[in-house]
Amino acid sequence: MTHGYPKNGRVIFHVDMNSFYASVEMAYNPSLKGKPLAIAGNPEERRGIIVTSSYEARAKGVKTTMPLFQARKLCPELVVLKPNFERYRKASKEMFKLMAEITDLVEPVSIDEGYLDITECGSQGTPLEIANRLQQRLLNELDLPSSIGIAPNKFLAKMASDMKKPLGITVLRKRELNKVLWPLDVAEMHGVGAKTKEKLNQLSIVTIGDLAKADDSQLRRVLGINGVRLIQRANGEDERLVDPDSVFDFKSVGNSETLRQDTIDDTVLFSLLRKLSVKVAMRLKRKGYVGETVQLMIRYHDRKTITRSITVHRPIAEVDDIYGLAIHLFETHWNYDPIRLLGITVQGLVEKQNYQEQLDLFHYKEHLKKEEIQTVIDNLTSKYGYNPFEHKTQISTPHPTSEEPTTSFQKDFLDDYTKDH
Amino acid sequence: MQRFEELEHVQPVAVRMLKQMITNQRIAHAYLIHGDSGTKKRAIAQTLALRLFCQETDTIEPCLTCRDCKRVISGNYPDLHWIKPDGLSIKKEQIEALQREFTYSGVESNRKVYIIEDADLMTVNAANRLLKFLEEPSQETTAILLTKNQQQLLDTIRSRCQVIALRPLSGQAIEQALIESGVTPENARLFQAVAPQLDQAKALDQDEWFAEARKLMVQLMQLLIDKPEEALLFVEKNWMNHFDDRDKLLMGLDLLLYWFKDLMYLHIGDIEHLVLLSYKDQLEQASLRYRRIDLVNILTAITQAKRKLNQHTHPTLVMEQLTLQMQR
Amino acid sequence: MKFIIQRELLLESLQHVMKAISPRVAVPILTGIKIEALPTGIKLTGSDSDISIESFIPKEEDGLVHVEDIETGSIVVQAKYFPEIIRKLPLKTVEISTDDNYQMTVVSGGSEFHLNGQDAMEYPQLPVLHTDNSFEIKHDVMKEMIKQTVFAVSTVETRPILTGVNMKIDNGEMTFVATDSHRLASRSVKLAEDFVHIQFNNIVIPGKSLAELNKIIDESDDSLTISVADNQILFQTKNLYFLSRLLDGKYPETDRLIPEVSKTSVKVKTKTLLQAIDRASLLAKENRNNVVKLETRDNALQISSNTPEVGQVTEDVITDHIDGEQLKISFSAKYMIDALRIIEEDNVIVHFTGAMRPFILYPENNDHILQLILPVRTY
Repeated sequence: MTHGYPKNGRVIFHVDMNSFYASVEMAYNPSLKGKPLAIAGNPEERRGIIVTSSYEARAKGVKTTMPLFQARKLCPELVVLKPNFERYRKASKEMFKLMAEITDLVEPVSIDEGYLDITECGSQGTPLEIANRLQQRLLNELDLPSSIGIAPNKFLAKMASDMKKPLGITVLRKRELNKVLWPLDVAEMHGVGAKTKEKLNQLSIVTIGDLAKADDSQLRRVLGINGVRLIQRANGEDERLVDPDSVFDFKSVGNSETLRQDTIDDTVLFSLLRKLSVKVAMRLKRKGYVGETVQLMIRYHDRKTITRSITVHRPIAEVDDIYGLAIHLFETHWNYDPIRLLGITVQGLVEKQNYQEQLDLFHYKEHLKKEEIQTVIDNLTSKYGYNPFEHKTQISTPHPTSEEPTTSFQKDFLDDYTKDH
Repeated sequence: MQRFEELEHVQPVAVRMLKQMITNQRIAHAYLIHGDSGTKKRAIAQTLALRLFCQETDTIEPCLTCRDCKRVISGNYPDLHWIKPDGLSIKKEQIEALQREFTYSGVESNRKVYIIEDADLMTVNAANRLLKFLEEPSQETTAILLTKNQQQLLDTIRSRCQVIALRPLSGQAIEQALIESGVTPENARLFQAVAPQLDQAKALDQDEWFAEARKLMVQLMQLLIDKPEEALLFVEKNWMNHFDDRDKLLMGLDLLLYWFKDLMYLHIGDIEHLVLLSYKDQLEQASLRYRRIDLVNILTAITQAKRKLNQHTHPTLVMEQLTLQMQR
Repeated sequence: MKFIIQRELLLESLQHVMKAISPRVAVPILTGIKIEALPTGIKLTGSDSDISIESFIPKEEDGLVHVEDIETGSIVVQAKYFPEIIRKLPLKTVEISTDDNYQMTVVSGGSEFHLNGQDAMEYPQLPVLHTDNSFEIKHDVMKEMIKQTVFAVSTVETRPILTGVNMKIDNGEMTFVATDSHRLASRSVKLAEDFVHIQFNNIVIPGKSLAELNKIIDESDDSLTISVADNQILFQTKNLYFLSRLLDGKYPETDRLIPEVSKTSVKVKTKTLLQAIDRASLLAKENRNNVVKLETRDNALQISSNTPEVGQVTEDVITDHIDGEQLKISFSAKYMIDALRIIEEDNVIVHFTGAMRPFILYPENNDHILQLILPVRTY
């Protein structure tokens, strides 16, 4: 066993790129290095605001969301650039590639930060050695500075990466919590915003230490389940796994099925589409996602395969929505040749809670009605503990199909990052 | 041909049907006119469009002299849309442009006509789009779809159209059409006899195999007269080489049939029906060498040979036997 | 046909009608310009079949002679060459004549051009419009009405009728309504007394045509005469006719979709709100709907936006007053900016009726303008 790995426990990295956009710009144009640099929404206009800035600029007091004219007052030599997202995405992709060379367990959190679970990476050296090597490679190969937090879980790793910037590597052990973490203001804690801080302060909880010792039930009353979670975090507890399948890869969910024999019988084909829609809807619901695009795959008897998709500006997750669009695609694109396989995928997924739907003048009233019904159902569901309106839908299945089972399409976002084997 | 009266000679049933609909003011939202090439699909569609747009007429015919008629003919009438395949197919974009056009009011009135040539060449996507607006016809819009292969069209499209079947061209009509398209009158007579459809008949003009086949036929006929003893060798060496499958052999026999039939026509003094007009001189000379009874026997032999070929008798055997029979 | 004309005037007229000519038209004759010599002057026409522009050069105007030696007649010439030729001719006057074979001769000084033309009878016949249902409106009012509505038409063809502006005239008042189904803009104006008898309901003018018209009419208080036929609408200034085809179909009833009650009413400085939304939208550009959030405070509106990849921004906009329920609502910054931009008055009134319902904006003391925006639903 290599030194630095716990007997029963995990080693988690949180890698956080330092003033990412500014760093990418400097890597792109090295003459900017060492200069105070800011990325602003609209540099030509006085009222543009700072999106991010380099450490040199921060040293002069330049802050994110500060209006440009104010920043220029503080730092007259400030270099201001427009954001170039294409450039940032490319850099981000490269940086996750480097992480993926250490382990498959990489969870991208955003364009410039991610978690790694290196518990099983003993063969590559101690955690500190691995972190050093990663930080050096990011710097040497991509010219991008980063801070890495090393801890037994995601929360502590995140807190640790925050402690030394730029180019820090910080190990945060559970036994050091009282010295390192607890004296800090609660607002420093990941997950505590201005509002929560206000509420905590009202309960005389000022430091993370106060929070660690706070009363469970009192906090639950004020902050709900989140309050309980915060106490656990303050005590250094966080069971969340590093999940490569979280945020990003979850762009699509799909199922396909091969028919027992090639067919042009539309009752068979329609009922298969129905069945696939039900499966996809179930998987979406389980994961709490909605999408805007439905893709239909048709494979003909001669293996010629077409995929056709349709995008709508409303959240697609329900069976009827998926089925309706799949039928539409099918009727538009089927050329009446015998079909061997059909597949339905819902794409462009976002978590339902992050979904934004532009309402429509001619349909908002229907929306409101649905909403009201849903509220009633939700209330009854929580009252009875189950949904009294839901009944097991009988799905007419096409003839029990061949050995080939329904397959899920695996669309892995991390494909971009994982090295070729 | 821009008047129903003229078109009626070629397509009496279809044109009478259309005239009836015009008289009764029962114009359908969509027509599907199908027939082989040369059956006057385009002319009928144009005449219908002319009649729908002409404001000067009070008869069944368009006046052909008013401003509207003139512009329908020149392609400048803004509310007539004529779609043709773009390359090998009619693309989705072409139907989309049409669709967009129909979201607007008409330029001159609210009557609109669109004609889609070779409608069977619509891509699946284009066809499905077209279907959408065939399903929701607007009052004053008339669609006219033209095709040679109506079975290639989606059933759903066909079922939304009033179908007008054009009758195949008569041999005479094909011959006339061939001459109009630049084929010599001599060849036109032969081509229409050999091929039942205008397209196929036209294609013969460029067909080198067919040109060679004609040459061989005349050579064989010449040999039979000049050096009958070499005929058998010629058949074995040249004929069987060129007519190397059953269909081709049947075509060869047809050519021989026309030759001897023509000889017969010459015997009875009926030169109206001659098929091999290009070889009129050779025919006239040859006719002196055969008695009428010989011709009857040879014609019977050729017919029998055709039957044998169809019954899968060995081709060389059939041809050798026939050659001997033609030698007398 | 024959006439001698002032070159500058002909050129100016050509530039007007060229605006309607497109090289890609299905009807071949429309690649040309129609020229008509009438006893009273010269008329030029250009068209892409969606819009048509006619420009008239009177024989005489204010005692000045523009056209001489007119022999009436007409012809269509290629738009590709004719204007360039006129532009480059040496003299101040041009003599234009045609022969029976549709050959046009253009003479100016020593230069003589011969151009192949086409029979003017081949050109589309523009509808004859009756004056009994025409009415007048000032140029600048028309320009305002276009500017304040046309931005809200739909640009996608999924519901083609929404790509147009609905013109209604009732009770002596003319209203323009445009909606892409996510927002709606409406503007009305009282017509002069003479036109109270005029009534229109389902006239839908393509947004593109109105935008084009706006470019052509000048900012003045001259009168624009508007006439409507079955399938076309005509806007007529002194020497310019602008015709547009109409959209075919029924414009949806929008009146009943506009909320009549308000649960939260706000009065706020138009500029201040516009600038705050504009700033907040800087960080919202990356998210699909360009969404900003608005939340009522005691005497302020809190505008915020948050894009995880970029950052977040919050700003309080002090209001003149807020009445009614507390409210949190999200909407497209773009729609809000579009709506606020056309309001010239200092103060704007906003009526909300809940986070899931459309809200309306109008300038203080001006009920001729109404802007409606549908919110963005967040889950």
